[in-house]
Amino acid sequence: MSDLANSLSDLERRFAGAAAHAADTRELDAARVAFLGRSGEVTLLRRSIGQLPASERPDAGKVINAAVERMESVFERESARIANLAFEAELSREIDVTFPSIEPAAGTIHPIRRVLRDACAYFERRGFAVVLGPEVEPDYYNFDALNIPPTHPAREGFDSFFITDTLLLRPHTSPMQIRTMQQHAPPIAVVAPGRCYRRDAVDARHLFQFNQVEGLLVAEGIHFGHLKGMLTGLCRELFGSDQRVRFRPSFFPFTEPSAEVDTTCPKCKASGEPCNMCGGSGWIELGGSGMVHPNVLREVGYDPDVYTGWAFGFGIERLGLTRYDIDDIRRFVDSDPDFLKQLA
Amino acid sequence: MRVPISWLRQYVDLPEDADTIADRLAMLGFPVEDIVRRPLVTGVVVGKIVALEKHPNADRLQVGKIDVGSGTPLTIATAATNVALNQTIPVATIGAQLPAIKIERRKMRGVESEGMMVSADELALPPDWFEDGIMQLDEGTPLGTNVVELFGLADDVLDVEVTSNRVDAMSILGLARELAASYGVPLRAPSFDNPGTGEDPAGTAPSVTLETADCTRFVAQQFDSVRVGPAPAWMRIRLALAGQRPINNLVDVSNYVMLETAQPLHFYDASRVSGRHFIVRDARPDETLHTLDGEDRKLTPQSFVIADGDKVLALAGLMGGAQSEVRPETTAIVLESANFNGARVRRMAMSLAMRTEASSRHEKTLAPALTDMGAARAAQLLVQLGAHAYRPHPFGSNVFDADVITLTVRDVRRLLGLQLDADRMSAHLRALGCNVVTAADVLTVTPPLWRRDLTMAADLVEEIARMEGYDEIEAIEPSVPSHEISSGQYLLENRMADTLAALGYHEIANYALQGVDMQRPLEQSGITPSHKIVEIRNPLSEDQRYLRWALGPAMLRYLGRIGAPMRVFEIGHVFSLDERPIVEEAVLAFGFSAPRLDEPAWRDSHFLRLKGDAEALIRAVCGVEVTAARDVRTGYHPGKTAVLLHDGREVATLGQIDPRVARAFDIDMPVYLSNIYLDNVPLYRIPRYRPPSKFPSTYRDLAVVVDLDVAAERIREIVQRAIGELCTGVRVFDEYRGPQVGEGRKSLAVRATIQRSDATITDAEADQVMKRVLEALQRDVGASIRE
Repeated sequence: MSDLANSLSDLERRFAGAAAHAADTRELDAARVAFLGRSGEVTLLRRSIGQLPASERPDAGKVINAAVERMESVFERESARIANLAFEAELSREIDVTFPSIEPAAGTIHPIRRVLRDACAYFERRGFAVVLGPEVEPDYYNFDALNIPPTHPAREGFDSFFITDTLLLRPHTSPMQIRTMQQHAPPIAVVAPGRCYRRDAVDARHLFQFNQVEGLLVAEGIHFGHLKGMLTGLCRELFGSDQRVRFRPSFFPFTEPSAEVDTTCPKCKASGEPCNMCGGSGWIELGGSGMVHPNVLREVGYDPDVYTGWAFGFGIERLGLTRYDIDDIRRFVDSDPDFLKQLA
Repeated sequence: MRVPISWLRQYVDLPEDADTIADRLAMLGFPVEDIVRRPLVTGVVVGKIVALEKHPNADRLQVGKIDVGSGTPLTIATAATNVALNQTIPVATIGAQLPAIKIERRKMRGVESEGMMVSADELALPPDWFEDGIMQLDEGTPLGTNVVELFGLADDVLDVEVTSNRVDAMSILGLARELAASYGVPLRAPSFDNPGTGEDPAGTAPSVTLETADCTRFVAQQFDSVRVGPAPAWMRIRLALAGQRPINNLVDVSNYVMLETAQPLHFYDASRVSGRHFIVRDARPDETLHTLDGEDRKLTPQSFVIADGDKVLALAGLMGGAQSEVRPETTAIVLESANFNGARVRRMAMSLAMRTEASSRHEKTLAPALTDMGAARAAQLLVQLGAHAYRPHPFGSNVFDADVITLTVRDVRRLLGLQLDADRMSAHLRALGCNVVTAADVLTVTPPLWRRDLTMAADLVEEIARMEGYDEIEAIEPSVPSHEISSGQYLLENRMADTLAALGYHEIANYALQGVDMQRPLEQSGITPSHKIVEIRNPLSEDQRYLRWALGPAMLRYLGRIGAPMRVFEIGHVFSLDERPIVEEAVLAFGFSAPRLDEPAWRDSHFLRLKGDAEALIRAVCGVEVTAARDVRTGYHPGKTAVLLHDGREVATLGQIDPRVARAFDIDMPVYLSNIYLDNVPLYRIPRYRPPSKFPSTYRDLAVVVDLDVAAERIREIVQRAIGELCTGVRVFDEYRGPQVGEGRKSLAVRATIQRSDATITDAEADQVMKRVLEALQRDVGASIRE
């Protein structure tokens, strides 16, 4: 009896091994035939029952039947396993996931608006409002109110398009300083993005229309250190946390003290290597800034002994060229579909 | 302005390196646009030709004995033809390095040459500006002196940009003063004592009448015993390094003093000024002047001149006349050192289309005190050249100290955030030439005579900031005070842009200045704009003469250029003339070009798509629904144009562009455009939620046959009104025209959804409702029902 049991458990173990190793239905069927088939090992063992004493035969039969049942269930389990394998293999053949995607029919926001928005967003998060204004402005807003009287040589720096003797396309966004301060009592915290015009011949670096963003913060206790802090933050927001920002003395009639603002060239990182972005200087000029001139504050009825403030005006196209590594400023106006899609 | 560092070093001790100096200047507010590098030149010394003979074996060569101050004179052969005995010249000795060659011992046609006589070219100076051949130095220059060191030829030259408020710093001395103050080292300023003290010979004293207030001060000074000739080598070389061509000793002195002090000067041949009497006056009608550049100038009404009793002598502050110019035979001269109103000089220069070194300084209005300083420096130099100086005669207003400015320690702190004490502040200001009296925290400051830009405390604060260094001011993020200024308009534009991008439109940015070429396609199509177009007075070119009055034309031009179907939008300002000087409006235009569809003429899915986008846009940015109404607009398809209304007010126009217009813009596809004037956009209204009924709804479809001119919107209204509050939706979902419905009629398929909020609606109720609907349709628009 124990011989039979030993033989059976050996046989079951070998069948289970063969079935588990079967890679497909054919191999599994082969294992089945070898063990459970008409001339399989179990059949041979069953035939040997006849040699046992008659009293042992019924039990031996039961033991073998039980073993066959267990082997059948092993067979079922393994054939389910093989069926799953086959199905998965079939599914895995269905598509090539690297096949080019179906493009959504989405539109795009112009890169200038993107830059402008990111710059404004920095100030909005800090409590600034964003205001818009007209592009055709009287000389009062463009010049006179900004401490640039008619005879001032600085007027020459603004080579403007005139419509009448006194009406022109604004050459900068600074008129918005005056408009905002005339409309509101201090404190003032605004940025004013918008289009400006100057009589520049169009080439790879110049357009006669361009965008600026003007900033103005007027309140009690505002000083030059705050200007540096805010504009340094802006540059780091736009170009990365390792940006350095440099303030150089300069002259604008409507600020005193005045400063030109430069930031490290994001392309060459001031490595000293030749660089088409900054011309190898390592610095990108962003625009002008400074403390609002006392005459400007007086012009809008603010007391310069109580209120101080800073203002700045940056060119958006310049920021855009730098940010997207664009070779020619005219691409902004051409707005070619490929250009828009690449920068979307 | 070209600034030779060697010239700066005369007045101030500076670091070796040109880049270091350039950086410092930039951080003082004088950006250096370029550094002109000087080549390496060594081994060139001063020599004197002590013997000169023809080369024994070569007709074109001469052989000289050159004394270079040590031992035996050097034997040097030269091909130059301008050499002569006793000339003092630069000599490159054996081992010398010149820009192009290294000097070695060599034989020239059998004669051992121990060096080379040197020309300006070989010292990297512009050869056209110096002697043709060997450069001539001044007699008495110590022999053997290193020429490169003597004339500062090794130092680089800076191209410095000076802002318009700092005309005083359009000068070597002005920039030297800035550097000395910044580095905290002494400034070795030249003396401004005028050596001319004696009275002019009887009856020859120059006099000046100022007939125009645009000349504030005129210093006239007479010199005689003048001999016109080349200026000394040091002066010629300095001028050349500074980019100024040497002419003769008198012209060179005036240029030298201008470059040094910023004060332009002019010399007149004394014998050619009638009565030595100068009159500064406005130019008279039809007056002309033959200027010293050889041009005949017709004077403009903006011009003002220096004249004598007979004739015009010079354009004030701009250029002298040829007639009174210094000539080789001139022996007596009168110096003009004058101060003019900058605005007047600028207007004159612009009207005559001229600009000179002198006018570029005068037009920024110099300080009157510089007239005396300029005259004094010129007199010193002329006396050095052997001239005799008489006393200067100043005319016009006296030179007064500038008004005193009161500055407090608090001013600096509140504008800069820097805590500086009074002593430090006054040290900075004194270094720049200010006179400062300090009492506790209050500084009483008198700006220097040569600065006109310092008029208030804020100006002095900037000076202190520059001296302290902008880098020293700590960057702090301010806490922004709260205020009530709205960002509404900006947010509206951004919401529109985002919505349109989501709807598949690409944002473009066209030029706002346009040429007639943008107008022409419209004119070809017989369209004249309803607005008067704004014209630019001074366009740079014809294609930017007009301000755009609509966004459409440039958008069509863009779509024509792209050639393929494309969806685009633009937000920008448009301009037109009205009773007011100008009307400027913010507009959104969006639209697309699209392939022709295989549809019956009475259906246009592109149009419906455009309308759907416009409705979705308005819903997104305003929170309101709009209704469409048929309309007619110039340039649009007469049958495919609509306005979208909200509360009866027009919010948007839209439609297909008239195919003839599209063709004129080179577009051979249907084009659709919508315009929204941002001022017409209703304020955002927050939509209110209506909970759906808990009870199921039912619907009824019907096909109504109506006349062609009955709008789908009208049908929708009638059905909705007829159902009343049980109606939860009506949609016209199909249209059919054809033989089955007859000529002049169309069939519209309508689905009405009916629902009760308090119970499930029964079929009987629904049928009852629909009966009312059919009656209404029949009554109002003569609809028949198609079974």
